Amino acid sequence: MPVQSLQNTDVIVPQHTPHPLLPFLQSQSQTTLTRLYQRPSSCLSVFRLLGPIERQLIMNLLWLESALSVATISAWVLPEGKDAYDSALAVMTGLHIAQNSAVKLALNSTFKSSLRQAITGGGSTGSFGVPTDKDGKRQSANIENLDAYALERWETILHYMVSSGQGQNPTKPSQGVLYLLQRSGLMNNAHGPALQITSSGFQFLLHSPHDQLWNLLLQYLHMAEERQMDLVEVLSFLFMLSTMDLGREYSTEPLSETQKAMLEDLRDYGLVWQRKTSSKRFSPTRLATTLTSSSPPLPSSHSTGGSHTADGTGAVALSSGAAQQGFIVLETNYRIYAYTDNPLQTAVLNLFITMKYRFPNLVVGMLTRESVRKALGNGISADQIISYLTTHAHPQMRKNNPLLPVTVQDQIRLWELERNRLKSAEGYLYKDFASQADYEYVLAYAKQLDVVLWENAGKRCFFGTLEGHANVRGFIERRTGSV
Amino acid sequence: MRAIKGVLLTCDSAVKQILLTMNEKDPFVIEDLDDYHLVIKADEEYRVRRELEAELEKNTYSLETN
Amino acid sequence: MITAYLLWLYRSSTSHAPNWTKYLTCIISAMEKASHLSVIVDLSPTQWHLSAQTSNQYPLSIETFLSQLLAFLNAHIASKHENSLVVFGAFPGKSVLLYSSTELLSDDVPSLDANSYLPFKLVDSTVVQRIMNEFDAIGELDEEPSCALVGAVTKALCYINRITHPSSTTAGVAEDPSIVHDPRILILSVSPDLSSSYIPIMNAIFSAQKLKVTIDVCKVYGPDTVFLQQAAHLTNGSYIYLERRDALLQYLIMSFLSPTSIRKILAVPKQDKIDFRAACFCHKNIVDIGFVCSVCLSIFCQPLPVCST
Repeated sequence: MPVQSLQNTDVIVPQHTPHPLLPFLQSQSQTTLTRLYQRPSSCLSVFRLLGPIERQLIMNLLWLESALSVATISAWVLPEGKDAYDSALAVMTGLHIAQNSAVKLALNSTFKSSLRQAITGGGSTGSFGVPTDKDGKRQSANIENLDAYALERWETILHYMVSSGQGQNPTKPSQGVLYLLQRSGLMNNAHGPALQITSSGFQFLLHSPHDQLWNLLLQYLHMAEERQMDLVEVLSFLFMLSTMDLGREYSTEPLSETQKAMLEDLRDYGLVWQRKTSSKRFSPTRLATTLTSSSPPLPSSHSTGGSHTADGTGAVALSSGAAQQGFIVLETNYRIYAYTDNPLQTAVLNLFITMKYRFPNLVVGMLTRESVRKALGNGISADQIISYLTTHAHPQMRKNNPLLPVTVQDQIRLWELERNRLKSAEGYLYKDFASQADYEYVLAYAKQLDVVLWENAGKRCFFGTLEGHANVRGFIERRTGSV
Repeated sequence: MRAIKGVLLTCDSAVKQILLTMNEKDPFVIEDLDDYHLVIKADEEYRVRRELEAELEKNTYSLETN
Repeated sequence: MITAYLLWLYRSSTSHAPNWTKYLTCIISAMEKASHLSVIVDLSPTQWHLSAQTSNQYPLSIETFLSQLLAFLNAHIASKHENSLVVFGAFPGKSVLLYSSTELLSDDVPSLDANSYLPFKLVDSTVVQRIMNEFDAIGELDEEPSCALVGAVTKALCYINRITHPSSTTAGVAEDPSIVHDPRILILSVSPDLSSSYIPIMNAIFSAQKLKVTIDVCKVYGPDTVFLQQAAHLTNGSYIYLERRDALLQYLIMSFLSPTSIRKILAVPKQDKIDFRAACFCHKNIVDIGFVCSVCLSIFCQPLPVCST
């Protein structure tokens, strides 16, 4: 009896949601990418960002000296996987990792030799960062301190965002961070001098820390382009950080000028820790070392960070996913119990629940029509609320199936739909056509332009959009003119 | 043949009935197309939406009222 | 009534039923989950000595083998940050844990160097160092005891059992990312079948089935082994007899690197001829036709008046 594997074997082409960085990389020129691929650490990181099928294909091709004929490769592909295989191939050629001609498939030679080097070690590129010798006098930062630092930086940013709309005055992040938030459209100063959170900012708050981080870094990359920074330097530095070992110190000496300048920005985001701004050494935090993995980038969302045990040499130990524990209990009566004393989490919850009581370690609130409508008004979608509640559900809740009470989920979605009971579109109503043939003739033309919003042959009238009106009127005039 | 400028409203039938009642007081409907569609005067849209909102609010009950 | 209508609107607007979407994301996330690989290396000095003889068509020394194996192990870790890896060595008479990604085995962490990725370096140095230690410990023996392959398989299964069923009382459902999906065991075998190990191997296969573990086998040197063929077949893994031994790494990567979810898209080679013969319980011989006890289904090579078990 063959063992039933964990997944069902139904013919469903698994679609891998591509990493947000990949489209950005794809938009870069081949020369930029090839320069990037000269560093083994960058290759390794890009490789990890790819989907599982791409990874396997790359590995299959990695140790071959010659190109493989496309026919040979397609022979591996099962018929059900054809679509997934094709899209994987498209991603690889888009990133210039693979050179795909009609008959042969081979890896980009730079990428190939760098990834080989990453896997076997050796070479002299120094792309994994130059570590500093242990300094006897000063103790280097331990993992706990690094975690605390990263958490503090990150929560400062988020807390600033969430409380901007409520007239509180939390600690302001640095000028660079503020600029970044504004540039990314998460905050703006449309209503006066102070920065206000925008609707995309509200959505941003409900994302996982990993998504938030990449979201900001992508924006940083776009900014880097405008600031005439060398993109290859910027990217390879980020990738270098992602392959570094947590809790070690690295030397700033071999960094380029661009990368040294980046250190300051990354310090503000909490990706890098330095004893002094002038220090010749830096340590990556967990935010940085988990950039290309899916393990939680922050030790724990609880401010009671003491419970987190530093897991020895972080890179070696199995990423303990349990570190990020849920804290929310949602009952069928719409009540929410959140076991937290973290002001950020409370503030985020406050976006869509009505607070009732607060205790030292517990916040009790309720999902009400008003509170959810307020969130919807801020641009947060029902799905985002539900997914936030799901990801942060208390371990006790995980025994339930489905995790969240269905009634509450449905009600949140209904509240969202309720806001959209009326859809409107401006345009023109065309009616009183002389004959059925006339009507059908004009309608066919309008349909060709794709401007018809509603039609009824019985009443012999249809409704067209505002944009289409000039064309349709011209058409009718030409027609009546010619008759 | 005539072309009339207006706004096409797409809604469920319940909302449509409310709109028709509102129309009796203060006409704005140009054409009643079918169960789910109405054409109204373009410059009335904002007022109609606001009044509809108020009308719908009358019919919602919240646990929090006590 | 309005609520009912809205509910209908909602059901029809989400074109798929919620369950469907949930199911789909389930599959997708399964592909993105970390996978676990346990590698069992058969390290019988005699067999490796034979394998390195230049009289073979493709001689393969243990040094070349290890360097290619390490590249393969690194490729597994490279694929995903969360991938876990355990290496067991089957030495004559004992099986040893050579590397584990969840615990640190040697105290001296290799010094960082700017040209290599630390986790890779750690695997390489730990595995090599521990193999060397074990080989040094093997004294001059008149007779080499048989390799403890079964012991290694059993240890690997225990290990997988431990990581797939975390003892934590939270009893997290599949959403806990630390739960490893899709565990696999890869056996790199050089020794011939040991008929005395038939029963323990079968037992290991059954527990692997129960744990949903896939067993892959790569026969690096020596004749086909019947039992390992069966192990791979019964757990939906693949058994490959290494023909071109100079292309070991390519074989390893193409056939054994991909987790089972990927194998539904990119096929891996499988043996179609499997030797299903069993070994008898009385003399541990592999038999073509045997006698089966009608009560306990034990297999014997000759008829017995009373079942011995």
